[in-house]
Amino acid sequence: MKLKALVAAGLVGASSLALATAAAAQDKTIRIVGFGASSGVVGIFGQNSTAAMSAAFEKINAEGGVTLADGSQARIVTEYYDDRCNAEEGISVLRRIASTDALVAIGPTCSNVAEPLFGIMQARVDDESDTGLQFPVFTDVAIKGGLAGISDWVFRNTPSEAAMYDELFGWLRETHPDATTIFGGVEEDFAHSRASWYDVMKTAADKHGFELVGEAQWLLSDTNFSNQVRGMRRAEPDIVAISAHPFTTCGVLREMARQRVEPEVLVGLTSSSSLETLSGCATEAEGLTIPTSFAPVNDEARAAAEAVVAEGGQMDLHSASAWENAMILKDVIEQVGVEGTAESLEEDRRKIRDGLAAMESAPGLLGTNQRMPDGEAVKPYVFVHARDGGWEVLHNPGS
Amino acid sequence: MDFYLGLAQIFGVHTLLGLSAYVVLLTGQVSMAQAGFYAIGAYTAGAMTAMFGLHILPAIVIAGLVSAAIACIVGFPALRVKGLMLVVATLAFGEMVRLFFFNLTWQVERNGDRVGPNGAEGFRSIRYFPENGWEVWHVTVFIWFVVVVVMGALWWMDRTRAGAVLRAVGHDETAAQSIGLNLTAVKVGAMTAGGFIAGLGGGIYAHTVTHIEHGVFGVLLATFAIAYPILGGLGSVFGTLIAVLFIQGFLIEGLRFMGEWRSLLFGALIVLAMNLRPHGLLGEHAPRLKNLFGAGPARPSDPLSTKEAK
Repeated sequence: MKLKALVAAGLVGASSLALATAAAAQDKTIRIVGFGASSGVVGIFGQNSTAAMSAAFEKINAEGGVTLADGSQARIVTEYYDDRCNAEEGISVLRRIASTDALVAIGPTCSNVAEPLFGIMQARVDDESDTGLQFPVFTDVAIKGGLAGISDWVFRNTPSEAAMYDELFGWLRETHPDATTIFGGVEEDFAHSRASWYDVMKTAADKHGFELVGEAQWLLSDTNFSNQVRGMRRAEPDIVAISAHPFTTCGVLREMARQRVEPEVLVGLTSSSSLETLSGCATEAEGLTIPTSFAPVNDEARAAAEAVVAEGGQMDLHSASAWENAMILKDVIEQVGVEGTAESLEEDRRKIRDGLAAMESAPGLLGTNQRMPDGEAVKPYVFVHARDGGWEVLHNPGS
Repeated sequence: MDFYLGLAQIFGVHTLLGLSAYVVLLTGQVSMAQAGFYAIGAYTAGAMTAMFGLHILPAIVIAGLVSAAIACIVGFPALRVKGLMLVVATLAFGEMVRLFFFNLTWQVERNGDRVGPNGAEGFRSIRYFPENGWEVWHVTVFIWFVVVVVMGALWWMDRTRAGAVLRAVGHDETAAQSIGLNLTAVKVGAMTAGGFIAGLGGGIYAHTVTHIEHGVFGVLLATFAIAYPILGGLGSVFGTLIAVLFIQGFLIEGLRFMGEWRSLLFGALIVLAMNLRPHGLLGEHAPRLKNLFGAGPARPSDPLSTKEAK
């Protein structure tokens, strides 16, 4: 009788322990935090990133979460901090994230936040004389070229605009042999749009033999573009390239329609290949051609886009990066053996950094993304154009 | 901990910006040029350390002096106008400075890299602090040392004849002139002092964010600069500090969790605060420590109030 009681008690105890362990395993969490502009003029980018990250982490958690070094499973929990596209706030937000148990951060939205933010981080890993912040950041949206090289703790999954526009203008040269002149319009006070025109589009157009017949500048907050478009009309270009975000792109396109400026080809900025452009000026944007690293061209991309819409966002090249970052981080966490304990936090962050640095390629929604030694990415892309109120794939250079 | 120390850094540089406007406001002038002086300080100090390898201390002093010199030059013509005209004139100056840096490209070779302002792309790699082994707390202590020195100097000035002169001009220009005060000298003096403080603040700001660009120094920053002393009250330097803590600490950082609603609430809370405390959070007259702790003789609530003769 005594023996039976002891065995029963032992069994109960063992089962309780097993149940408690299982419960504890299910309770294990890994925090990956997003940050960027989710309010203000460019707030839509942050809102879409939030939706994409939430959708991606929900998918990961529904499939069992991430596997930690000890073989246990952990759920990924996330939240999103708004920096209002302000450098000071961005730095404050990252310091706040680094002071929590977050393993890695995804963000920021704005290049003018990314640049100072990356500057406060340790420039070269293991350089003990550099007291910069040591915390891995995996950028989804801020796309201005060459920023990841500022710090070894920074990685970006943004497409290479230099490669995209070089290919685009080369393709335009082949498909529009009669087009010889180009006019550039640039949103001058935004780091990304400015750099994209002067350093990327202009260079690519020149390389492929297009003669620049004029340039017009405006500001992000401008609402009147009559002078700029008048200059455009006088120049009579074959191609008009608009390096601006959706808000002023639509303003310029409406003014072009009003002044009946009808170039043979309209080229837009990567960030304008979004729903905002179509909801703002679908008719005027008809034919606008843009290279983008996201289009729902395969089952995986379509499923991801639907999941993001279900979270209240839209999938575009920026939010697609946020989705991909979540998936890439899951792989890295499992590959490098993250322990996921409070004691191992610093070590885990370093493992994430080293894991991202060691990656040579990563799966993406349109195919394999090449990871560069400087922390940048070269992603597959397609050319889309606005047609009947939607974005339609015009050409797939990878096909 | 670094997060709170980083916040303290933001409080520090914004306090300097607010104090630069406070000095000018004491003379009754509303200057929207402080963001311009702040920008001049930021670019100058950034150039001193990143391009010419100077130590941070001389760099920010030079930045302050350059800003002060320009403030003095700007002060002569600008302060001959009053009220709204002065606001417009100083706003125009601020925009002029911003557009100057928007177009300024001046880079030098340093350790194999091109360093310096690069037009609209901004001025990158102002990394004096991390490159010289300064931890976050070192930077915070440094900033607050400067803030305390500036606040102390202004607090002391407020208790001397110079402070009385500034306030006299601010209260009633005609009366001040009638007792022989040179209004232009007083106003330009205040503008110069404000320029110096803004230059110091801008110089430190550039080093805390490591990258500066023209867009930061726009109308919004100029509005913040005058909002701090007005919201805090002109009674003492502490009003500006309280307002910085209220705006940067509570409205911006404290309400971050509110997302989109934060920006809406931001304006509403400032309007509410101004309605509840129309003379600023600390009022027009500085609270005295003796009175706060119940020591010392009772004082009339308004030192300027008159008593009827018996």
